[in-house]
Amino acid sequence: MRAFWEQTVLGPLRDLGQQAVAGLSSLIGMLVLILLGLMLGWLAKEIIYRILRALRFDRLCDRIGVGLVVERTGLARSSSYLAAQIVQGLIILTALLAGLNALGTPLTRNLVERFFLYLPHLLAAFLVLVVGALVSRFLGRSVLIAAVNANMPSARLLAGLTRFFVIALTVVAVLDELGISRTTIIVTFAILFGGVVAAAAIALGLGARDLARDLLQSQFRPKTHPEVEDPMRHI
Amino acid sequence: MAEEILKEAVKEEVSAVGPVEILIGIPSYNNAQTVRHVVKAAQAGLLNYFPDRKALIVNSDGGSNDGTPEVVKQADVDAQSLMLVSHPLYPVHRLTTPYHGLPGKGSAFRTLFRIAELAHAHALAVVDADLRSITPEWFNLLLQPILTLEFDYVAPFYKRHKYDGTITNSIVYPFTRALYGRRIRQPIGGEFGISGRLAGHFLTRDVWNTDVARYGIDIWMTTTAIAENFKVCQSYLGAKIHDPKDPGSHLSGMLVQVIGSVFSLMETYDSVWRNVLGSLPAPLLGFPFEVGLEPVPINVQRTLASFQQGVRDLRPIYEKVLTLQQLRELESCAAQPIDKFVLEDELWVAVIYSFALAYHRRVLDREHLVKSLTPLYLGWVTSFVHQTENETPTQVDDRIERLCLVYEQLKPYLINQWPLQTGEKRSES
Repeated sequence: MRAFWEQTVLGPLRDLGQQAVAGLSSLIGMLVLILLGLMLGWLAKEIIYRILRALRFDRLCDRIGVGLVVERTGLARSSSYLAAQIVQGLIILTALLAGLNALGTPLTRNLVERFFLYLPHLLAAFLVLVVGALVSRFLGRSVLIAAVNANMPSARLLAGLTRFFVIALTVVAVLDELGISRTTIIVTFAILFGGVVAAAAIALGLGARDLARDLLQSQFRPKTHPEVEDPMRHI
Repeated sequence: MAEEILKEAVKEEVSAVGPVEILIGIPSYNNAQTVRHVVKAAQAGLLNYFPDRKALIVNSDGGSNDGTPEVVKQADVDAQSLMLVSHPLYPVHRLTTPYHGLPGKGSAFRTLFRIAELAHAHALAVVDADLRSITPEWFNLLLQPILTLEFDYVAPFYKRHKYDGTITNSIVYPFTRALYGRRIRQPIGGEFGISGRLAGHFLTRDVWNTDVARYGIDIWMTTTAIAENFKVCQSYLGAKIHDPKDPGSHLSGMLVQVIGSVFSLMETYDSVWRNVLGSLPAPLLGFPFEVGLEPVPINVQRTLASFQQGVRDLRPIYEKVLTLQQLRELESCAAQPIDKFVLEDELWVAVIYSFALAYHRRVLDREHLVKSLTPLYLGWVTSFVHQTENETPTQVDDRIERLCLVYEQLKPYLINQWPLQTGEKRSES
């Protein structure tokens, strides 16, 4: 009878208890790791923010144009703060992954493994996004100044279009890098872009040739007619 | 060891001529139409004014494809027609060589300086190859102050139409004068006299792979000569008539080269100009005579339209460069009708100082920054034309003098706003 109790009731209960203790310790381990990560992240953020401010990191970012992007998008109160927040986020993320790993289940292990495999794509996408934002701003400004200096009435429109196309290309490249519905995005972009061009061509060629000519003339031909050669002697 | 820019064949040719006292340099690029006249004027000038001095004429060519070097080799002056008083002791040697390095006038000058150094020249006169109004006397006026009065740098002084050289009048002359305290009326004139000592000094500077090697050479030489305390004077050359410049060189490109160089030199010599207030005249040599001037047409409707569009469309850029007050004043200026349009000197100078500060602080890409000045400069031109329409040359000169004084009066603002070097303290005064 005693053996029966041992085998059918107490044994499974003991196993359950052991499993519960093991699971609980893993859970506590995970919570401790996450808590540590949160504390360490906050500490790192404060230290890095102060160091970057002392090193005038904001001024450097302003010079290369990142400062303005940060300011306009409202991502953070300054570039130094954003950099410190990124470090904080990375530490918390690492702690979270370590915590998940500490659970030791096949599911969490698989999740952590997949995350690390995906990390290079994330970093590459981030880099492409930053470069794209900077290039769009630079090209947009180049077009704006050149168009204003050429007396084109639609200078701001041209600059805006330039920025839009560079950003659109960047977004496609980023999504492609992240592997998000790669084929769908490329096909959608190609169809949309091709469609816009085809529609414009048909409109110009058939439906509104005169209107398009007048519109283009009024928009893009300088209002005044500067001489072929500037007669002024500036120097 | 310094980089050798001359080919062996050129060095041998210079050695064969031997040491010379005078070197005349003619940088050229596709100037076959005019270079013959310039070479002949140079030869006549040497025979007339320096018959007892050994001289060399050097054409430094930028790869002309219209036969400019051949024209230089063939150009000869009829010595008899010059009615020479003294018989020349030496024949005038001529040398034509392509220059090396970045394409531009500065690289041509570097080649000339190196040849002058090799030939131990005491004095150089450098003149543009597109001049139509050049006379033999110009060489006397550019060289004599160096050979007999021991000046190191002779800048040209021309009579110009009131609307000729508007970048010089609105920015380069008054700004350079206020910065370095010397009144050189044509700091980017194009014709210069340079002592052998100063040419050697120019060669030692590490600027030949920068914009100076392209088209910033004129202002660089003038600024270097003044800021480094070389003896500087001006020579009155009369009127300057030359072939129209390359139409491909657009206004904003010119501004980048010239104004960009002025701003960049402010960084090189900030320890000099921050200690200068007011200005002193530079000696003017030669005999100022009246000349007929070719009128320069200006379409003020167009310049005003450019200004108005610039103030409207480039606002996001100007917000980074100018103060809110300056921006508002520009906007109220842009709203004026053409018959009442005036851009006050104080506002114009404040705008230029703000651009100089923004250039130094790298508020945005430097080329973008200087190019964005174009519409504002055209606004100044509009205002200047409107104000001086019925003024005599003397009244116009007085007006430019007043602008110069405003540059000088507002200079403390520039000094105070200029970022200090590490460890440097701003003086209380």
